[in-house]
Amino acid sequence: MAVRTSDPPAGRPASSPSAATGRRSGRSFETWSWFFMRLSGLALVFLALVHFSLTHIVNDVVETDSDFVARRWDNPLWRLFDWSLLALALLHGLNGLRWIIDDYVRRPRLRAFTKAGLYTLSGALFALGTFTIVAF
Amino acid sequence: MTNRTRPYKGKSGQWAFVGHRVSGFLVFFFLLLHIVDVSLVRWPALYDDVHRVYGNVMLRLFEVGLLLALLFHSLNGLRIVAVDFFPGAVRNEHRLLTAAIVLTLGAGVPGAWIIMRPFVEGRL
Repeated sequence: MAVRTSDPPAGRPASSPSAATGRRSGRSFETWSWFFMRLSGLALVFLALVHFSLTHIVNDVVETDSDFVARRWDNPLWRLFDWSLLALALLHGLNGLRWIIDDYVRRPRLRAFTKAGLYTLSGALFALGTFTIVAF
Repeated sequence: MTNRTRPYKGKSGQWAFVGHRVSGFLVFFFLLLHIVDVSLVRWPALYDDVHRVYGNVMLRLFEVGLLLALLFHSLNGLRIVAVDFFPGAVRNEHRLLTAAIVLTLGAGVPGAWIIMRPFVEGRL
């Protein structure tokens, strides 16, 4: 069932003049966020399971040393594969964590701080991961 | 508890919801760790030292957990997509959850065996 677990847009009475637009824009962001989770989720089933199979099942984890990475990243398509996985998984996970924070961190200030920390950490790691793949 | 934390009111869908959250949360934090360890590949010797840790038995058990979390989150995610887009899936959502669990174990148990085999066979 498609329960959108994050907060609904602020509950102003529907008759208030600004309510219509405020409500519509709020809903449209969460609608896109819902749709993104489905779309990125479908891509990630493929990307994440292929990645896990290659690094834990087809090859044993101890075989995936720096030589293994270097050989793989000789092929730009594998870099593209890994970067797509990085970007989609981070964004998918970030949005999931955002929903979790909205559900369980109830105090407004603490919620804002928790989200700020999450966004900063994810942004920094996205930059680090992108740099690792591109500059290797 | 409110409907916000218990939107499915205790039925099997409630456990699917909890399992999806917990597995997603765990995979996300592994991803953060994994980005940092792969970034060491710029210094191959250091990367190999850190990477060797992943081969020990504790971390192999952790990898088995990651596999199960990944499989359940993937398969239950497919169930959620099916339920959201196909009315027929809504009527069969309980059956789809059973299928997701069976497939998680069906792929996860052989996968766990392959991951643990070097330890079981004493090659570790």
